[in-house]
Amino acid sequence: MTDIATTDDHAHDAHHPTERQYWLVFLALVIVTAAEVAWSYAGIDGLAYLLPLFAMMLFKFVLVAGVFMHLYFDSKVLNGKTFWMVFGSGLVIAMLVFAAVFGTFEFEI
Amino acid sequence: MADAAVLGDENVAGENSTNDHTADDHATDEHGAHYTSLGISNMKLSMWLFLGSECLLFGALISTYLLSKTRFLTELIAGNPNVVSTLPSALAEEMIHEGSVEPLFDIPFTSASSFILLMSSLTMVLAHKAVSEGNYKNTRLFLAATALLGSFFIAGQVYEFTAFYREGLTFDGNLFGSAFYTLTGFHGIHVSVGILMLVALLILSMKGKLQADRAETVELVGLYWHFVDIVWVLIFTIVYLVR
Repeated sequence: MTDIATTDDHAHDAHHPTERQYWLVFLALVIVTAAEVAWSYAGIDGLAYLLPLFAMMLFKFVLVAGVFMHLYFDSKVLNGKTFWMVFGSGLVIAMLVFAAVFGTFEFEI
Repeated sequence: MADAAVLGDENVAGENSTNDHTADDHATDEHGAHYTSLGISNMKLSMWLFLGSECLLFGALISTYLLSKTRFLTELIAGNPNVVSTLPSALAEEMIHEGSVEPLFDIPFTSASSFILLMSSLTMVLAHKAVSEGNYKNTRLFLAATALLGSFFIAGQVYEFTAFYREGLTFDGNLFGSAFYTLTGFHGIHVSVGILMLVALLILSMKGKLQADRAETVELVGLYWHFVDIVWVLIFTIVYLVR
């Protein structure tokens, strides 16, 4: 097979994480998942249990979206005004709707 | 301009400010792909918009699950006969005693499933990297590995559903069962669709039709696959670990 990637392709790849960085992110994800499971057996209840659990979940979320989905590297997707008008505003409205639904149903954790 | 050189062809138009609508905003690369002022191609932007709509779908399903579980547990613990009778007495007593649905779940097994899906995300990015570098042998290897790991995950879900059904949790038995099977089932369907897309890419690659100049096709499928992984990150914590 010939290598037909263009110079631009290689330059683009240079801006993306290296294979080693992908492995490190994967390792971090596995460790945090293991920590989540271990935490679930710690016998702690209430907010003291939930807050660290959600923090770990959020950490994994950010790692996958930022590195694996290249959001850190396609920075204009995050920084662009159009993005916030189209996607960000929808996200905020969606969160408000879900908050209203939870409030209406007197949701309790 | 220096940034554009570093970022490569995906940012040919994007190196201009989002407010500067020049001819570059409608630039195309040598393969005819159109680029937006966000610095990403129209195809990639479309995928992100699609994933945005998927956020709403899964957001609604997760909200429904949380509300249904709370209502179900409240009625179960209160001893509502209409709810208690929907479960085998041993399981109902255990749930009432624990005050949660936790006795139903096999956390070590689900943790293994989570590991498999995380591993598949790694092989997916490695497939994208391989095709970008023109390493087609590794592209096929990692695409096949991703599809295989996804299949293992689905097999695990089928096993889990079968085990839950045998324990007495049915889809139409109570509110919790309906919400649980709908949420995790929808996720499983998404994984299955992802596997089909991976197999299609694998076939294209074997026919020599997936070259480095079409690396973005692999990246788009990768975005979908990672999104499915992210949804599982949420489901694993919210459904299985939150008591």
